[in-house]
Amino acid sequence: MGQNIHIDVHHLTRVEGHGNILVNVTDGVVEQCEWQVPEAPRFFEAMVRGRHYSEVARIVSRICGICSIGHTLASVKATETALGIEITPQTRKLRTLLKHAENFDSHVLHVYILVAPDLLGAPSAFALVPTHAEVVARALRLKRLAHEWGSLIGGRTTHPTTVLPGGFSKVPTVAELEAMRAKLAEAVPDLDATLATITALAPAIPAFQRPTEYMALTSDEEYGLYDGYIQTILADGSRARYEVADYRSCTNEYVSPQSTAKFTKNRLDSYAVGALARFNVNYDQLHPKAKEFAESLGMSPVCTNPYFNSVAQVVEIVHSAYEALRLFDELIADGVVEEPLVQPSRWGTGASAVEVPRGILFHEYAYDDEGLCTDANCIIPTNQNHANIQADFDALLPELMASEKTEDEMRLALEMLVRAYDPCISCSTHNLDVEFIR
Amino acid sequence: MRYLIGIGNYYGRDDAIGLRIAELIGETGLDRDFRAIDLGGNLLDVVHYLDAQTEQVLIVDSARMGLAPGDYAFFTLDQVASVKGSASLSTHEGDLVKVLEFAEATNGPLPPITILGIEPAELADEPGLSDTLEARLDQYVAAAVEFLAQVGPARR
Repeated sequence: MGQNIHIDVHHLTRVEGHGNILVNVTDGVVEQCEWQVPEAPRFFEAMVRGRHYSEVARIVSRICGICSIGHTLASVKATETALGIEITPQTRKLRTLLKHAENFDSHVLHVYILVAPDLLGAPSAFALVPTHAEVVARALRLKRLAHEWGSLIGGRTTHPTTVLPGGFSKVPTVAELEAMRAKLAEAVPDLDATLATITALAPAIPAFQRPTEYMALTSDEEYGLYDGYIQTILADGSRARYEVADYRSCTNEYVSPQSTAKFTKNRLDSYAVGALARFNVNYDQLHPKAKEFAESLGMSPVCTNPYFNSVAQVVEIVHSAYEALRLFDELIADGVVEEPLVQPSRWGTGASAVEVPRGILFHEYAYDDEGLCTDANCIIPTNQNHANIQADFDALLPELMASEKTEDEMRLALEMLVRAYDPCISCSTHNLDVEFIR
Repeated sequence: MRYLIGIGNYYGRDDAIGLRIAELIGETGLDRDFRAIDLGGNLLDVVHYLDAQTEQVLIVDSARMGLAPGDYAFFTLDQVASVKGSASLSTHEGDLVKVLEFAEATNGPLPPITILGIEPAELADEPGLSDTLEARLDQYVAAAVEFLAQVGPARR
């Protein structure tokens, strides 16, 4: 008689939003093995129709509380493309610096608060406070640093206020940049300690390989966080290039009955986006310090272990820190001036892409000749990963069944796999629910 | 420094009440003696405002407390128990009570924190407050500003 397995994880914890894991194996036969996404669609594309181009970024920023900088940047970039707005080099540099702040912040949150408990055998970051107080304190120090860094450039880190189509409403002074740069430089010991922690935890990361297609933004000028073209790479190293304007040709959205979110595919039946995809596509443009850390763990492109997305996030934390130091230095040396917003030169349609912590994000808008939005489309990274998570499940479950793991160990392996993707399924409500005790 | 921190989901109907209050206070310049923060749903970032320099924090959020929709209450953490049932610390399934407990366990004693909870009338994935809360928005703002004006730094 074969195995009987029943795993029903309703609303997986330590991910952003709601997703379910359902596995049914009867007498060794897999009857069901699904990653389910039950969140209700929120129709942001409909909300921005009829709104003036100056309002759109502020609205779509609310798609996500973690990636609000990325949504804002993707939005203003798409609007600028649609309206023929060419931003200045200073704006581009400040936005890139802001993008690094968001990725740094989100990666610290994910690796330390959401993933580390799995690797340390703890149910949550709460449980780490008594046993790993310094690790938790370091996580909060690094998060605060990123929070201040993002707030300096964006007005605030969550739902930035200074980023507008055509430029910035307010730019930091050189003195403020110098102070922030000093704080970042002071954080290098915390970065080194982070690498030591992850190096110590790396042996606990499951050894699972499943080659897929990896998609990321690529730029000749940088690692590809803020701008560039779309590139994918397969495990054999073969690459394909797509222009951002043609993003639909490589995302190929389709409806899956197991998800309220659309799935995507390209050269294979699924593809991955996120830190590991960026690592695989853009490895050559990583900062030498980031490469050094990856190499110390024996990690090189094309890495096909999806659990290593969390390690790739740490590689990117290092990259963002050192790249930001360079950008701070350039801005301080060049000086920062208040610039008027660049005004539209036409009305039309434009698409954009930026890399947010969880992967490549696409926005596209059409505007009429009064500057009102007539159409919008947003494809978020987590949706692009759903099909790939399902394909990972399909490959992983037989391996788990063959390895004589207990049902609890299988459940943990599947949960950890989903968490490795850092999914941001949707922003759910945050209301308090309390009862008075006195 | 004193902070008014609005928390919630702007597109969650009355879950947005904390954000709308912070926003309105900023727009009308009522934040002369304190900083009004719109934190969105990024609950863990509350921790960044809870340090030794912080004199007072007023967190404004929708709260199911068993009151009539639209009614509000000021309370402190030691007066309530969360019944949200979230076992772990997450960001989106966030439980403010749990985040504050986490902050205390990590950083030591918290600065004085009071919560202005407002009983929601409608929670859904849609923009805009319910008519019930929209009609009382100015009242909530006045209560929040008055609270921060009256409390001294030493109050806990």
